[in-house]
Amino acid sequence: MMESLLQTLLNGAATGGVYALVALGYTLIFSVLGVINFAQGALFSLGGYATYLLMGGRIGVNGAWPGLGLPVALPFTLALLVAALVTALASLLVERLAFAPLRRRGAEPLQSLITSLGAGVVLVNLLQILMGAEGYAFPAGAEALAGLPDMLILAGARIRTIQVLLLAICAGAVVLLSLWLERSRSGKALRAVAEDFTTARLLGIDSDAMVRLAFALSGVLAGLGGGLVGLSVSLTGPYFGISYGLKGLAVLVLGGLGSVPGAIAGGLLMGLAEALVPADASGWREALAFAILFAVLLLRPGGLLGRIQPDKV
Amino acid sequence: MIDNGLLVQMLLGALLGLSVYLPLAAGQLSLATPAFYAIGGTLAALLSTRWALLGGGADGSLPLPSLLLELLLAALLTGVLAALVGGLVLRLRGIYLAIATIALVEIVRVAILNLPFTGGAVGIFGIPQPFADASGYLLPVLGLLILAGWLCQRLEALPLGQAMAAVRDDELAAECLGIDTTQVKLSAFVLSAVLAGSTGVLAAHFLNTWNARQGTFDVSVATLAFVILGGSRTWLGPVFGGMLLTALPELLRPVGDARLVLFGLVILLGPVLAPQGLITPALLERLGSLGRGAGR
Amino acid sequence: MTSDATPLDQRQRGSLRLAALLAAAVGATALLGRSADPAAQPLPPASAPDGALTLGAVIALTGNANLYGQDQRLGIGLAERWAADRARRDPASFPRPVRLSLEDGASDEQSAIAAFQLMLRRGVVALIGPTLSQQAFAADPIAQRRGVPVVAPSNTAKGIPQIGHFISRVSAQSSVIAPLSIEEALQRDPTLRRVAVFYAQDDAYSTAEVAIFKQALTAKGLRPLSVQRTLLGQNDFQSAITAVLPQRPELVVISAQAVDGGNLIRQLRELGYRGQIVVGNGLNTPNIYPICQRWCDGVLIAQAYSPDLDTPVNRAFLALYRQSGARGAPPQITAQAWAAYQVLFEAIQRLQRRGGLQGVTLAEARRRLMTELLSGRYDTPLGPIRFTPDGEVIQGRFFVAEVRMAPGGRDGKFTLVRERSLKGVGG
Repeated sequence: MMESLLQTLLNGAATGGVYALVALGYTLIFSVLGVINFAQGALFSLGGYATYLLMGGRIGVNGAWPGLGLPVALPFTLALLVAALVTALASLLVERLAFAPLRRRGAEPLQSLITSLGAGVVLVNLLQILMGAEGYAFPAGAEALAGLPDMLILAGARIRTIQVLLLAICAGAVVLLSLWLERSRSGKALRAVAEDFTTARLLGIDSDAMVRLAFALSGVLAGLGGGLVGLSVSLTGPYFGISYGLKGLAVLVLGGLGSVPGAIAGGLLMGLAEALVPADASGWREALAFAILFAVLLLRPGGLLGRIQPDKV
Repeated sequence: MIDNGLLVQMLLGALLGLSVYLPLAAGQLSLATPAFYAIGGTLAALLSTRWALLGGGADGSLPLPSLLLELLLAALLTGVLAALVGGLVLRLRGIYLAIATIALVEIVRVAILNLPFTGGAVGIFGIPQPFADASGYLLPVLGLLILAGWLCQRLEALPLGQAMAAVRDDELAAECLGIDTTQVKLSAFVLSAVLAGSTGVLAAHFLNTWNARQGTFDVSVATLAFVILGGSRTWLGPVFGGMLLTALPELLRPVGDARLVLFGLVILLGPVLAPQGLITPALLERLGSLGRGAGR
Repeated sequence: MTSDATPLDQRQRGSLRLAALLAAAVGATALLGRSADPAAQPLPPASAPDGALTLGAVIALTGNANLYGQDQRLGIGLAERWAADRARRDPASFPRPVRLSLEDGASDEQSAIAAFQLMLRRGVVALIGPTLSQQAFAADPIAQRRGVPVVAPSNTAKGIPQIGHFISRVSAQSSVIAPLSIEEALQRDPTLRRVAVFYAQDDAYSTAEVAIFKQALTAKGLRPLSVQRTLLGQNDFQSAITAVLPQRPELVVISAQAVDGGNLIRQLRELGYRGQIVVGNGLNTPNIYPICQRWCDGVLIAQAYSPDLDTPVNRAFLALYRQSGARGAPPQITAQAWAAYQVLFEAIQRLQRRGGLQGVTLAEARRRLMTELLSGRYDTPLGPIRFTPDGEVIQGRFFVAEVRMAPGGRDGKFTLVRERSLKGVGG
């Protein structure tokens, strides 16, 4: 019995870590702009493919230039970091094209939901045209885990080694981010902007720069997530990031929009809840996540750890 | 070249756009339309394939009165469900309401996928056809659209419509003015659900087959795009948006592999270039004042 | 007179006018849309400049089935080249030129319907497709009503040929193929008793196929310890696997698609499962190699196509496949797409040689083509095939293969293990 509880916890933690990462990406942008970036899922996919190409992968038969690849072949860790940077740049581009023009005009936040969606569609389809729809395995992926066994056993419960790696890196990224937000100057500035856009600007903080920073950071998170998931389950097509996008959205609201610890807690909770669904009812697992979400929203509208902004008259 | 089949799909898109527009006109961002659309379609699929009384013939035909009965029942079912759910959900504001309705869509989708009588992953196929070909569907779909459009047109002048506009502008102020905001929001939500359910009935017959994948988050977002691009301030906006965005991927076929990229670009640049959408109140006012004061 | 209409009145008038305009536009489009159905037009003779018959193909080039669509496009394209080549070398035997028109059917029902209707307007003589069974249920009735032959290259769900007289397929039913791999597993280990089953419960195909697998298991006196339901979009199976492993299964049966199935196999092996694995048709593609990599090794599968079949047409297929730049062996779905084109092409030529396409309308030509199609025998890369009067394919030869990965785990091959001839299949 103890075994199965631990096993369930492990199962939940593995998926929960990635959910938390995706939710964090959303949270950063939501906290400063009050909007959801629907291109986040597409950026996730980009991170995966970028990592693949940076590791020396070649474009497959169904891509635009079969056999073509980058002139580099980096080891996994380096490729992951560079891919995260590339994704950050892409995220900034999304901000420039889909968000900035609307913000300048003072348009309804609703509009940027749509434009970011458009950006996501464009990105995913460009990826498809470039790389084709087939699956890709990272070229030297095995080397990243060289020497390590395929799985680890902790007190009778099994977990894939790669999941442990995933969890560790996600946790590391999350911790680094939280520390940075808490301690560093720009981190505090970002939080100030999240609290109140106008006041922050009055205090001399360059709100626009903070917005760009938020996008860049969320791009880094998406890039890391995409690359890590690609290592764990291979790149399964340009749309693979999109499904994480939707789940991440649910986690985002569960934990409380705009709350970093909320996103983390929400992610782990969601992963755990899914792991607890018995096998017979596994078809209902998807509904469970959203049913929990629904219930939380009705009982605690601000999410678990979020704060509701009272309407100011 | 738009053939009648595509035209029917465009009009169905317009109907779904209107369904998303109605709560929005009362200031509520509800993305629940695909849930009620799916429920309406499932009801029609089940009734016409399982209920012999409806006369779904072995040759795959369906008498017209049966179609009307299905529409009535779907309207009833979705209306009641919307009234129940709306009471719970409409307490939420802004993005929280949006996400709650997204959750609703997912729950309905998974329910339809898992319930034993809705056909599971395969869904229900061989749905009887009230009309021999696509052109036949133009009549009921256009009829429904005209009905819905007429309703929305009248709404602006009716007290309910004005109350909706007041709630949209400033809910707190509207409350202070004595408007029963809950009632107003609920009415809009129920109307939207009834419209979506009826559209589902027609769509199920048109598509011959129905399954859980007809009402998903993607549909939520697509129908929202209809409204945003078409114009969220007047009912003609979602109609135009729905027709245009439904037709666009088909019209872009000659472009080949890049057609979805172009489609994405339209959605990306639309709100940037036309912030209030295509059909704005200003445009309508200009159209309305044509021919008057021209001699000034 | 100054206009003292309120903005509300103006807006109301404006929207009324715009609505009227829209209604008029819709009406006009509806009238225009009732364009002359090309079916009533007479068929030009073979030698005329517009004498080429159009074969339409609707396959999934976008959406989540695009992986299969890509492979099908290749198969159809190769078959077209091969057919054109034969016609060039021997014009007397192949008198009627044939043209291919390919459209994207995406992965949803609406797009397939739209693509079918586009094809019908173009006056195709027959259709190949659509990729997904789901789409077939929606779009095939349209072709059936208009009397256009449809040859499905990859629809394996139950009930497809039964949609109507004009609907047929070259992809054998899973009820025939699936049990063969179970038999192979039992042959390797006759003492095995403990079986676990995984299937993608939101996939129409896998749901139908797993029922066949379960039937085959029951027929051998085996009852699964556990039946785990997964989802198509799932890529983490830790929960399902750790629920099953403590029961120490000796055989795992998987009915899913390439990507989720591939990850399931990889994770089963990583988490310590060492028994046999049998998979269904959804994993019958080299697309699993990048997903399960070196862990794919040893997986058993029953196939309707084997690259090792040594017939002239299969050799030609393999040669053209390699020329196209693709690596490794062609997947079954590509061979089946080739077969779909081939049977239609050959039926057209036979009909033309007999004079059956002389002085008829398009509608009549389609009817005759369907009859001709069902009555023929064809030597395809799948082996010799023919059709039941219902349009179901009759294929006598099937294959059981085992995946053998090359060292390095990047490339592999479905290595033929056993050929099975099923006599009396479909009559």
